[in-house]
Amino acid sequence: MAPRSSRPSIIVTVKYTALALFALLWVILPLWLLVVNSFKPLSEAGSLSISLPQTWQIIENYTTVIERGNFLRGLGNSLVIAAPTIITVLLLGAAAAWAYARSKSTLLKVTYYVATLTLLLPPALLPTIFLLKNLGIDGTRIGYLLVTIGTRLGGMVFLTTGFIRSLPIDFEEAASIDGASKIQIFIRIILPLVAPILFVNAILLMIGVWNEFFFASFLMPRNELMTLPLALYRFSQTGATFSAQNWHLIFAHVVLTSLPLLLIYVFGQRRIISSLAASGVKG
Amino acid sequence: MIKRRYLEPAKTERVRFLLLGRSWSPSGNWWPFALPTIALVGLFFVVPFVLNFPLAFTNWTSYSSTIKFNGLDNFQVLIRQNILFESIRITVSYAVIAMVVQNVVSLLLALALERTNLINSIFRSILFIPVLISSVAAGFIWYAMLSPHGPINQLIGIVVPGFDYAWFGDRTTALYTVAFTDAWKWSGIATLVYIAGLNSIPQEIIEAATIDGASAWQRLLRIRLPLLAPAFTFTIVTTLLGAISAYDIPASTTRGGPGTSTMVLNLAMQQQWTAGFFGTGSALSLVVTLIVVFTAIPLVTYLRRREVSF
Repeated sequence: MAPRSSRPSIIVTVKYTALALFALLWVILPLWLLVVNSFKPLSEAGSLSISLPQTWQIIENYTTVIERGNFLRGLGNSLVIAAPTIITVLLLGAAAAWAYARSKSTLLKVTYYVATLTLLLPPALLPTIFLLKNLGIDGTRIGYLLVTIGTRLGGMVFLTTGFIRSLPIDFEEAASIDGASKIQIFIRIILPLVAPILFVNAILLMIGVWNEFFFASFLMPRNELMTLPLALYRFSQTGATFSAQNWHLIFAHVVLTSLPLLLIYVFGQRRIISSLAASGVKG
Repeated sequence: MIKRRYLEPAKTERVRFLLLGRSWSPSGNWWPFALPTIALVGLFFVVPFVLNFPLAFTNWTSYSSTIKFNGLDNFQVLIRQNILFESIRITVSYAVIAMVVQNVVSLLLALALERTNLINSIFRSILFIPVLISSVAAGFIWYAMLSPHGPINQLIGIVVPGFDYAWFGDRTTALYTVAFTDAWKWSGIATLVYIAGLNSIPQEIIEAATIDGASAWQRLLRIRLPLLAPAFTFTIVTTLLGAISAYDIPASTTRGGPGTSTMVLNLAMQQQWTAGFFGTGSALSLVVTLIVVFTAIPLVTYLRRREVSF
């Protein structure tokens, strides 16, 4: 009996030691390097050591980033882009997903398949610019906003339609018998019922839209409009250049740029992970 | 399995419809609900997608206001400058490396963290953090981690004194290093997908196999991994296709170098764009699309066929 009870515990110990070592190398060490060097002066950060700073230079580094790294402008621009985009995608996507889940129309079904295909296919960047030029909204915030909404709706529709199809139709039916209109049913019944999948979509959208760099750098080249990832990228290219290895400043910018999502994550981490693991990303 | 579950509500709905007469009609007008989405996806995804085909064969530049078809000129220029096939090769290698690293890491993590308990939840939460970090930031972090005197080389230096290999600066490893950073950023998502897949395997099947004397190893190879096929399909396809259109991480680390060893198609496209050659840029972006399409179709068909239903 003895080996039987001790063997699993050895395996468990080995497993968690390996996991802890892996997490240390994979996540903790990079984050530690990032944070600790953002507190150092140039002379110390250049060596990229993981030891604590000899001279602490927190306030100076972070004020430099906020002043010269356009952090506040980037933060404002990112918020102005992310909030309307996410709300629009969630609401319009939920409405369309309900229609797709319940309608029998073949033509609608075709548009559903097109929408879900956009999940796999890469959006075409240069033709998008061509289109925006012709619409007269090239290089504007509204142009980028519309393109982001148009390219993110497919994923939202795909996840939500599957979710609604697995819901019983009884509630909608009962409400309809009681004389509720479709729009009332949508607002009072469907939206609350799909809240779990809206949450999953909101997380995925937040991660995707907040960090989006590729399209933003082409569709909004003007400095006034730059979002946080662009502010970080351009900061690394100017004055404090990449080759000069001003790691203390670049890292301080990375910390500030990553902070909004990380803060949300710290508070909602349990729900975020469990809802993503439960059903969400599986589709 | 998934299909069956989705069919059931439809069936009950039809039965109810027959029993209750014309109470709730799903055949009413659904267009107002779908129309805004159709319009936005149509105008801002489908239209540019379709426009890509003609634009790739035009002389669209920043130097002229007229746009004319120029046949295969753009592709010939790209071939002559040794950009086209080189970038295709680099992009495909990048995508395969990123996909393999991501799936191996996340599958192992999912097997280790499959059960939901406190300590596993803590590990899941920590290992998900890279997903939240922007890929530009991820690029900077790993550029520093793997720089000649960075922490990784310092660690290796404990065993091999004075180790100062330039992971991003050497032609032979740069592509692997950049693709690894891509995999690092996204593995958290794939891990959760695999955990969800493992947890959706009916417990009775595994119990039955255990009673029949299957060892833990046999249960893994013969039962759990085959039944994980839907999760494999999803993650292999999404990670591969995602990495084919990579841009952020190469742009924030090597910017295509050293030489052209990490010049993925989207970076080459960006160079054409910056130089004002929008037609040749469109040609490269069409190549990205075609690679995605011709990877996706056979891959999805093949992986789907291997899926076991239970």
